[in-house]
Amino acid sequence: MMATWVSATPWEWLAAIGPMHGWAVATAAVVSACCAMVGTVLVVRRLSLLGDAISHAVLPGIVVAVLLGGRPGDLGVLVGATAAALLTVALTEFFHKQAGLPEDAGVGVAFTTLFALGVLLVTVSGSRIDLDPGCILYGILELVPFDTVEVAGWEMPRAFVSAVVVFLVVGSGLWLTWRWQVFTAFDTEAARAAGVPTVAVTVGLLAGVSLATVAGFEAVGAILVVAMLVVPAAAAELLVKRLHHCLLLAVGLAVMGAAAGYLLAWKLNTSAAGMMAVVLGGEYLLAVLVAPQQGVLARGMSSVLYAWRVQCEDRLAAAWRAEEAGQSAPLPASLVAAAAWWWLRVQGRVEPAQSGARLTSQGRRDAELIVRSHRLWEAWLGRHAELPVDHLHPPAEWIEHHLGTRLRQRIEADLGRDVRDPHGSTIPPERG
Amino acid sequence: MMPLPGVLGALLPYNTLVVACGVAAVGCAAGVVGTLGVLRRRALVADAAAHATLVGVALALLVTGQRSLAVLLAGGLGSAILALGLLVLIRAVTRTRDDAATAIVLSVSFGLGIVLISGMVARGVPGSGGLERFLLGHAAALTAADAMLLGTVSVLVILAVAIGLKEATMVAFDPAFAAAAGWPAAMIDLVLVALVAVMVVVGLPAAGAVLVTALVVIPPVVARQWTDRLVPMLVLAGGVGLASGVIGVAVSSASPRLPTGPVVVLVAAGCFAVSLVVAPRRGLLARWRAGHRRGRTDYLLMTEDHR
Amino acid sequence: MNKQAESQPGHPQQPTHLPATSPLQAGQPPLLEWHDVTVAYGRRPVLWHIDLTITTPCLYGIIGPNGAGKSTLLKATLGLVPTAGGRVQFWGQPLAAVRPRLGYVPQRETVDWDFPVNVMDVVLMGATSRLGWFRRAGRRERELARACLDRVGLADLAGRQIGRLSGGQQQRVFLARALAREADIYLLDEPMAGVDASSQEEIFAILAGLRDAGKLVVAVHHDLRTAARWFDAVALIDMRLVAAGPTATVLTSSNLQQTYAGRLGILDELSDAVARGDRTS
Repeated sequence: MMATWVSATPWEWLAAIGPMHGWAVATAAVVSACCAMVGTVLVVRRLSLLGDAISHAVLPGIVVAVLLGGRPGDLGVLVGATAAALLTVALTEFFHKQAGLPEDAGVGVAFTTLFALGVLLVTVSGSRIDLDPGCILYGILELVPFDTVEVAGWEMPRAFVSAVVVFLVVGSGLWLTWRWQVFTAFDTEAARAAGVPTVAVTVGLLAGVSLATVAGFEAVGAILVVAMLVVPAAAAELLVKRLHHCLLLAVGLAVMGAAAGYLLAWKLNTSAAGMMAVVLGGEYLLAVLVAPQQGVLARGMSSVLYAWRVQCEDRLAAAWRAEEAGQSAPLPASLVAAAAWWWLRVQGRVEPAQSGARLTSQGRRDAELIVRSHRLWEAWLGRHAELPVDHLHPPAEWIEHHLGTRLRQRIEADLGRDVRDPHGSTIPPERG
Repeated sequence: MMPLPGVLGALLPYNTLVVACGVAAVGCAAGVVGTLGVLRRRALVADAAAHATLVGVALALLVTGQRSLAVLLAGGLGSAILALGLLVLIRAVTRTRDDAATAIVLSVSFGLGIVLISGMVARGVPGSGGLERFLLGHAAALTAADAMLLGTVSVLVILAVAIGLKEATMVAFDPAFAAAAGWPAAMIDLVLVALVAVMVVVGLPAAGAVLVTALVVIPPVVARQWTDRLVPMLVLAGGVGLASGVIGVAVSSASPRLPTGPVVVLVAAGCFAVSLVVAPRRGLLARWRAGHRRGRTDYLLMTEDHR
Repeated sequence: MNKQAESQPGHPQQPTHLPATSPLQAGQPPLLEWHDVTVAYGRRPVLWHIDLTITTPCLYGIIGPNGAGKSTLLKATLGLVPTAGGRVQFWGQPLAAVRPRLGYVPQRETVDWDFPVNVMDVVLMGATSRLGWFRRAGRRERELARACLDRVGLADLAGRQIGRLSGGQQQRVFLARALAREADIYLLDEPMAGVDASSQEEIFAILAGLRDAGKLVVAVHHDLRTAARWFDAVALIDMRLVAAGPTATVLTSSNLQQTYAGRLGILDELSDAVARGDRTS
């Protein structure tokens, strides 16, 4: 049975699990897309923890709105909770700026207090509202399809409708203010100086975060909303550079995470919201591994390639020096060196000779450049770094692998007509 | 004057008294350790550790099949420390910012915990039904032996802080100076974080994974409002934690509907609200009055023109 | 080798106000010696091959523009950041053997001045940092701390919370904390940063007092105008050592030109290439 499930296409999965699940997945996808959009800006502005605070703080807002007669998923509840969230942000700002609390402690105090207040209200009002602590913490996505409203003749889950409304509001808000958002995120001071209303931009962003959080709250609960806000954005940030690419990728990752998390949870018979967070975590881990340049794999690869290049170039340079001294090339002393030697032969930079091997004309040109780099660097260090002559060789052994043509020419120009290195050897000219 | 247990004994039934003692000890120790944690700017690191405990609690039950508090908490401690390690790793190998890293570890590990618990409940793993108590705390379920365990760990943690106070202060204030003087600052810092993790775990039965951070963060913040010295701050934070625990348990025992964790947190938050306003010098009233007198509101400016 | 000889503060041209109290005997190891020290953050080198020797107790300035790696050199000297190559020796010995004889004054911004300690507490940290594990301040440490506070002129502020001091006072608290270590070599990171002119003079007087008592004082500094007046010898640093020796001979316009005006694009470009594990253009 497992096998058929694995081989099916996602479309077949959806068909197999039926329209009820379809609505739940769709709701989760829209909600996570909302969160990922605002989350991207939140993460680059180093406001992730404010997202954490907001997600906890909407609880009392929701509870009070429900107690006043709203229903979870209604627009009125949405507005009430957003107001509560903005109040929290103002409160943490106040703790930090006016009362001198460290920022993280202020956030910690504010959100635990408000969350405790929310839980207390829920338990005290008991059966009067249909929220339970479990729903608060990790949502009941599975129940979303059963609470429906009619929109233009279509029966749709209430939560889906509000999620779409929030998506449109937040999405268009971000689209309209995008230039300002980017400018403010990049350099708030410069943006303010350039006339961008940075305070309004920030308040707008936080209002968007609150809206997205409230929309996500019912589906995935307070804490897992944080996962949707921060994790896809952080993963996307590792993978691409431009902020709008980041946003699009984050939305994609979030939607994928929501769908895959839901299906996995359904298959494994466990909490859908929890599984979405876990899948998002997996996506982040993957991003850490495969990210270009900064990724773990890329860096590991670049270290190995670098070590290999150094090995090959060292062999070449050693052969060149031996030729210069009128000796035959030294035999490789280690397994890695032998492998490098073999590779140089494959590349046609060395060739077999009567006694061992000798450089080909191509190999000689390459080797000359390395020795040239080495000796130029020794000469330059001797002139500019106050180093005694016997300390010059090790740095040059290192830097000979990093000098390019243009920098070599600059160094030569800087040294003037001095064509010898500090040990008295000639510096080979640039050719090839 | 009657000793404290005597007074409480007259007011509270035996069971509640047991719970109150356990929670009070935890509150006190969490306040003491939290003071160093908050001063070292580790408030939200504690939060990440707290949310990660669920994974370990669930796994401990799954692996050992035992429901004893000690086993579950040991599991929770394991996963909390693992989460802190993960946090360090993310900082080391990625360019993700610290705050985002904290939020990632917090939410993903919490999600994993929820997945494990829901899965276990759905499969009818024996004893898994009660695991949800660790989300918001359920102090009323503590037995005398449990309270003893919490109390013992709390006392040990307070003793550890008392013994290593010189080292902890030096590192918390200026790790670079301590390291330059030859102290293993990174190691001392690690022990400090580990102690915070221990208190977060021990606080689980009292306040639950979601709210236990409050026990570590709020009492120190309250204490800081009233004093400018470290030792008084430690004592005061311990006292606030202890009082919040006792009062919270007493209040919540009045009605079966009242959950202990949120009530304890709200008592502590009440102390904070009062301190925020009326504390001498750092309180809002004092600041505003001082600002008024000097014709400006910036407290720092007011004090720096002393020379 | 000629250049190397010039870089020694013990050169015959040294100014006359260098103390005559501790003449360098033949064969005695230098006070402080950097051998080909290279420091990298990650793979990116920020300091290249620093080779420098200080033989006499004096006021030694480490001078250079922003981002030149001055503070990094100090931190590497104290083992706070790892070196990528080379070694540092004090009296011919490695760092681990001489820590009790070193006093460090970090940059003022590195700590939280809202920390709940008073002036006396901070200075006591210096005194107790020399005690063993878990040993608390006794009478000796208290008297020592009080004496150090007296030396920096803050005795009457002993009970004040450190956040309620001026910048100059805070810097002097840090200095007193280092003094309480009763060290022989003092390493100071930007001791004059954010300090008003009169406080600067006071701090300088304290440092000069240390020098006159036969201690070596090494301070990172960025202000050229005051450097010439305060330091007996200086090292000019801009990612590499530009020049070192008695202040008057080092602070020449050609050296300063090299250090401040012509930032060596070569080293910057190379740092980038090394960090990538690649070649420059």
